[in-house]
Amino acid sequence: MSEFLNENPDILEENQLPTRKEDNAKDLLLGGFSDETTLKRRRLLLKIDHSPGSQVLQDIELLDKLLSIRTPPELTSDEDSLQEESEEKYIEVQKNEEEKADLIDSQEIYDSIAHISDPEHPLSLGQLSVVNLEDIEVHDSGNQDEMGEVVIRITPTITHCSLATLIGLGIRVRLERSLPPRFRITILLKKGTHDSENQVNKQLNDKERVAAACENEQLLGVVSKMLVTCK
Amino acid sequence: MTPDQLNSAIVTFMANLNIDDSKANESATVVTESIVHRSIKLLEVVVALKEHFLSENEIERKKALTCLSTILAKTPKDHLSKNECSVIFQFYQSKFEDSALVKEVLEGFAALAPMKFISINEITQLLRLLLDNYQQGQHLASTRLLPFKILKEIFDRFFLNVSSIEQVKRINDLFIETFLHIANGEKDPKNLLLSFELNQSITSNLQNVENFKEDLFDVLFCYFPITFKPPKHDPYKISNQDLKTALRTAITATPLFTEDAYSNLLDKLTASSPVVKNDTLLTLLECVRKFGGSSILENWKILWNALKFEIMQNNDGTENNLLNPYVKDQSNDDIDQYTNSEACLKIVNLMGSQLYNFDKFVFEKFITHILDELKPNFKYEKDLKQTCQILSAIGSGDLEIFNLIISSVFPLFLTNTSETAKLKLLILNLSFFFNSYIDLFGKISESSAERSVPNNKLAEYKDEIIMILSMALTSSSKSEVTVRTLSVIQFTKMIKMKDFLTQEEVSLIIQYFTETILTDNNKNIYYACLEGLKTISVIYENLVFEISLTKLLNLLPDYFDENIRVNDEENIQIETILKIILDFTTSRHILVKESIISLATKLNTVAKVSKSKEYCFLLISTIYSLFNNNQNNNVLKEEDALGLKQAIEPKLTQIITQESVIRDDNYNLTLLSNVLFFINLKTSQDVHQEELDKYNKFFISEGNVRILEAPNLLIIPYVKVLSALKKTCVFPQKSTVIVKTIHLLRIYGPKMIETEKVGYLELLLVLSNKFVPEEDVIKLLDWEDLSSTNLEVMVWMTKGLVMQNSPKSSEMAKHFIDFLSNEEIGSFVAKLFEIFVVDISSLKKIKGINWNNNVKILYKQKFFSDIFQTLVDNYKTTVNMAVKCNYLTALSLVLKHTPSQLVGPFINDLFPLLLQALDMPDSEVRVSALETLKDTTDKHHNLITEHISTIVPLLLSLVLPQKYNNVNVRLIALQLLEMITTVVPLNYCLTYQDDIVNGLVPVLSDKKRIVRKQCIDTRQVYFELGQIPFE
Repeated sequence: MSEFLNENPDILEENQLPTRKEDNAKDLLLGGFSDETTLKRRRLLLKIDHSPGSQVLQDIELLDKLLSIRTPPELTSDEDSLQEESEEKYIEVQKNEEEKADLIDSQEIYDSIAHISDPEHPLSLGQLSVVNLEDIEVHDSGNQDEMGEVVIRITPTITHCSLATLIGLGIRVRLERSLPPRFRITILLKKGTHDSENQVNKQLNDKERVAAACENEQLLGVVSKMLVTCK
Repeated sequence: MTPDQLNSAIVTFMANLNIDDSKANESATVVTESIVHRSIKLLEVVVALKEHFLSENEIERKKALTCLSTILAKTPKDHLSKNECSVIFQFYQSKFEDSALVKEVLEGFAALAPMKFISINEITQLLRLLLDNYQQGQHLASTRLLPFKILKEIFDRFFLNVSSIEQVKRINDLFIETFLHIANGEKDPKNLLLSFELNQSITSNLQNVENFKEDLFDVLFCYFPITFKPPKHDPYKISNQDLKTALRTAITATPLFTEDAYSNLLDKLTASSPVVKNDTLLTLLECVRKFGGSSILENWKILWNALKFEIMQNNDGTENNLLNPYVKDQSNDDIDQYTNSEACLKIVNLMGSQLYNFDKFVFEKFITHILDELKPNFKYEKDLKQTCQILSAIGSGDLEIFNLIISSVFPLFLTNTSETAKLKLLILNLSFFFNSYIDLFGKISESSAERSVPNNKLAEYKDEIIMILSMALTSSSKSEVTVRTLSVIQFTKMIKMKDFLTQEEVSLIIQYFTETILTDNNKNIYYACLEGLKTISVIYENLVFEISLTKLLNLLPDYFDENIRVNDEENIQIETILKIILDFTTSRHILVKESIISLATKLNTVAKVSKSKEYCFLLISTIYSLFNNNQNNNVLKEEDALGLKQAIEPKLTQIITQESVIRDDNYNLTLLSNVLFFINLKTSQDVHQEELDKYNKFFISEGNVRILEAPNLLIIPYVKVLSALKKTCVFPQKSTVIVKTIHLLRIYGPKMIETEKVGYLELLLVLSNKFVPEEDVIKLLDWEDLSSTNLEVMVWMTKGLVMQNSPKSSEMAKHFIDFLSNEEIGSFVAKLFEIFVVDISSLKKIKGINWNNNVKILYKQKFFSDIFQTLVDNYKTTVNMAVKCNYLTALSLVLKHTPSQLVGPFINDLFPLLLQALDMPDSEVRVSALETLKDTTDKHHNLITEHISTIVPLLLSLVLPQKYNNVNVRLIALQLLEMITTVVPLNYCLTYQDDIVNGLVPVLSDKKRIVRKQCIDTRQVYFELGQIPFE
C-alpha cells in the first residue's frame, strides 16, 4: 500500500456530496408533535435562524407545552379496565406513525457508505466518486415481512484497482451492520470500469468468501479502519 | 549577645540543619541581628565555630561552614569592614583545599562577593581560584550553580555599575576566562539559564570580547537546538521555552557572533525535523533583527539562497486555509507562534528593510538579484504562490520598496483571464500584496484621524483589481465556488485597507455582496459575503444601511407567494432575505433599529391581507429575534425604544386587536405580544407608570376590549406588557383584577380556548409575582376546591411566589405533594409540577435588569431541594402503583428543568428512582429520566458501572417501538447505550457486547430514519469494542 496506484483522482469536496436537503431542519426538530402546523412553523423558523436553541423556537415550544399540559395523562395502574381503550389508541398511534415512516432509500444507503475511507487515499469513497448516489438501487416495499434488496455499483478509481475487493468488502460489512436482515445486499462493479470485472463481482457476492474474510482478524482490522470515518 | 548565647545559637543551628531548616534559619537570623547591632563581631562567630571546623567528622565541618555562610549571606552588604572582608575571605580560601567543603566554601564566596568593602585584589584571587582549582565536572548540579552565582554577583558589583575603570580592566579577561572555564560542559537547565544570561552580559558589557568570541560562541552554540522536557514535579518550573529563549537571546547578543552564527545556523537549517527548523529560523530571525544591516551586507546571498529553498519547498497554508472567511487576521506578532514559512518570510522582510536603511546601493543589488531570480516564475507559472509571498514580504518593509515591488511585479501577472485556474491563482496572489499594504499603512479604523496613506503604486492598479475581482464574482458561473469566494474575501480585505477605496467603490462592493448573498445558495459564499457585510458595517454603517439593508427590505413583497426578483434570479425566498437581515445586522445600532421599523411597517401591511399567517409569522419572528439577539449588548438604548414605541407600537396594537391572522394564530399572537414586551422593557422607567395606566384603560376599563368581562385573547398582549413594566408601578386595581381573573377562570375555565386560559393563568402569575402582596395571594388560594381549573389557578399563583423564593412557598409545595397521593387528581397535579419550574420568557432573569420582576436566580434549586426529599420518601412508603407513578412523574418533570449541576448532590438517592421512571407509562417521563441519566452517565462513571447489569436490559427494552417509546425515547436510549462504552470499563462492556449487537437488530428497521442512524452508530461502537486498532 506504500505505492499509490492512482495518485491524482478527481476529488469532490466534503460539502459537494449529495445530501438529503430538506431534512436538515427536521433533524434538529425532534420530538413527536402530531400537529402539522407546528412542524411547518418550526421549519420556517429554522430557515431564518438555523439553530435549535434560538429564543423564538424556545418560546414556541413553551407555548405548545403550556397548551398541551391539560391533556389528561394516561393511567395504566388498572390495566384491565383500560386495556381496550389503550389498545385502540395504540393502533391509532401506530397508524399515525406509519404515515410518517421514513423508508430506506438510496440516499440513506449513500449516507451510510459514502464516508467510508478509501484504503489508499486519505479521502472518502464519496469524495472519490467510488460510490455514487445514482448507482444505488433500493427495492423495498417497506413491509417488514417481505425481502428487500439493495444493489450498489461501485466505480474503482482506475481499471486495474487491486483494492476493489477490499472496498467492496468494506461496503458490505458496513451495510450488513446497518441494514435489517431482510435485505439482500448486492455489490457489483459498474460495467466497464474494471479489467477483471466478473472475477471481482463473483468474489464480492460470494457468501463463503465474505464470511471467511470476516474471520481474518487482520483484514477485519483494515476494514474497521476504513469504517472509522463513517458518519 | 553573650558568648554562651552565641554558642547555643550555633548548636541549635547545627542540630536543626537538614532536619528543620526553618528553625536553623531562625537561629542564624538571631546571630546575624546581633552582628548588625554590633553586640558581637563576625570574627567571634568564626572563633566560636572553631572547634567544629577542626572536627574529624566531615559532616560537622560541613555544618559549621554552612552556619558561617548562612550568617554571612544574611549580613547587610555594607556591614563588614574592609579588614573583616579580607580576613573572612582568606579564611574561606584556606578551606577551599578541603575537598569535602567545596559547596559550603562556594556559598561563602557567593555571600562575600557582593560585599561593599571587598577589594579588587580579593576578587582577582577568587577568580583565579575558580579558574585554577575548581573542577566543575566533579560536582553536583547544585554546587555547580554557585560559581555562576559568584560570577553574576561580581558582574553586578563591578561591571554593571562601573566604579573604577582601572579596576574593571584588571579583571576583565580573567573574568571571561573563568566564565568559560565554569560554563564548559554544563548540563543542568537551571545552571544553563544562568550561564546563558552571563554570556549575554559578558558579550554586551565587557571589553576585549573580540578575543574570546569563538569560545564564547561555542559555549552557547553547542547547546543549539536546545530541547528539555521538564520532569513532573520540577521545583524550578523551567520550561523548554525559557531555555530556548535564553539561548536565542545570548546567541544574538552581539554582532561579533555574526559570522559564526550565520554559518552555523544555516548549517542547522538543513535538519529534517520541523521543530529544529523552527527554532533555527526563529533564531536566524533574531540575528537579522539584532545584528543589523552591516551583518546582512556580507551574508545576504547565502541567507537568501537558504531561505528561498525553504520557502519554495514549503507547501502549507493551502487554498482551503485562505478560503475560510474566519481565518484570523495575520497580524500575529507573537514571535513564538511563527510557522516555518512565516518565519522565513519575516526574515526576508527584515533583510530587505535592514539593508535598505543601511546601504541603498547594496539593497539595489539585493532586490535586483531576487527579482531576476523570481521573475521567470511568472512566465512559467511555477511556485507562483511562494514567489508572491516572498515579494510581498519584502514589499512590506518600506514605502519605496513596496512601490518598487508593485511596479516591477504587477505588470507580470495582473491580467484578466477567463481561465478559472489562472484566475484563482491570480486572486490568491493578490491577497499577499494586500497584506503587505495593510502591514505598511495599517487597517482602516473608525477614527481615521491618524496620518494618511502616502501615494503608492498599488493605488494605480486599483481600478484594474476591482475590475478583475468584480468580473470573477459576477461573471463566473455559480459552480465556480472557489473563485467567487476568493473574490469576496479579497474585496473584504480591500475594505480593510486604509484609505484605499473611495466611498463609491465601497458602495459598489456592498451592492455586489448584497446581490451575491441573495442569489447564491452556497454556504461558503454566503458566509464570506456575510463576513464582508459585517466588516463594512463596522466602518460604513450608513452606507450599508442605504445600499444593502434598504434594498433587502424593499424586496419583501406584500404577498407570501409573490415572486422576488434580483437581477435575473427569481424564486428568492422571503426566508432567505429575513435570514440575511438577522445575520448581518447583529449589534449594529442603525441597522437593527431600521430593520425593526421597516419590518413592523411591512407586517402592518401584510397582516391586512388574508391567508398571510405564515408570512406574518416570519416577520414577527424576525422582529422578535432582532430584539432578542441584541438584548445584552446594549445596541438599543432607551431613546431608541421610545422612538420605536412611537413609530411602531400603534401599528402593532392595531393589527393585534383587529386582524385575525394575528389574533387567531397562537404563535403570531404570542410572539408579537413578546415584541411589545421588549419595546416596553427597553423604554425608560420614567414612563412606565404612564404606560401602565394607558394599558389598563385600553385593555380593562375603557374602550371595547374589556378583557376581564369575558374571555378574550387580548389577555396575552396585556400580560406581556405587564411583565415588562417596573414592579414599583402603582397598580391600584390589582386586587380587583386578580379576583376577577380567578372568577373568570372558575366560570369559563373548562370552556375557554386553551390559549386564552394560559393567558389568564399567566396574568395570575405576573400579579402574584410582582404586584399583589404575598399574604393576599395566599388568602386567595382555595385548597378545598379540587377542580382542575382551581388546581391550575393555585399552581400558577404559587409559581409567582416560588419564583421570588418566598419563605411560604415550601409549605405550599407540600400541599401540592399531598395532592399527588389523591388517586383522582394526583396524576393531573403531577403534570402541573412542571409549571413551577418552566421558564416563561417574559419572566426570565435578564442581565442588568432587576426592576421588572421578582425572579431569583436560584429559585429552581431551592424548589428542587424543597420537594426532593419528601417526594422520595413518599415514593418509598407508598404501595399504590398509581401514586408511586405520580411522585415519579412530578419529580422527573421538575428535573427536566433543573440544571444538572444542581442535581449532582442528590444523585445517589435519585438514581434508583430514575431507573424506575424508565418503566413509567408516560413517554415524557421516560425522556426526562433518560436525559438525567445521560448527565449522570457523563459525571458519575462508577454509579453507572455498578448498575450496568440493570441499565443495559432496560435500555434495550426502550429502543423498541412501543406505546410509550416515542422517537425521542428510542433515540436517547440508543445514544445512552453508545455513551456507556466511553465511561464503563471495557471488561464490563464486553459482557453485553453480543446482547446489544443482537438486541439492536430489530431497531435497524425502525420507522424513523434518525433512529436507524443512531442505531447504526451505536451498533458500530459495540462491534468494535475491544478490537485492536490496525496500524
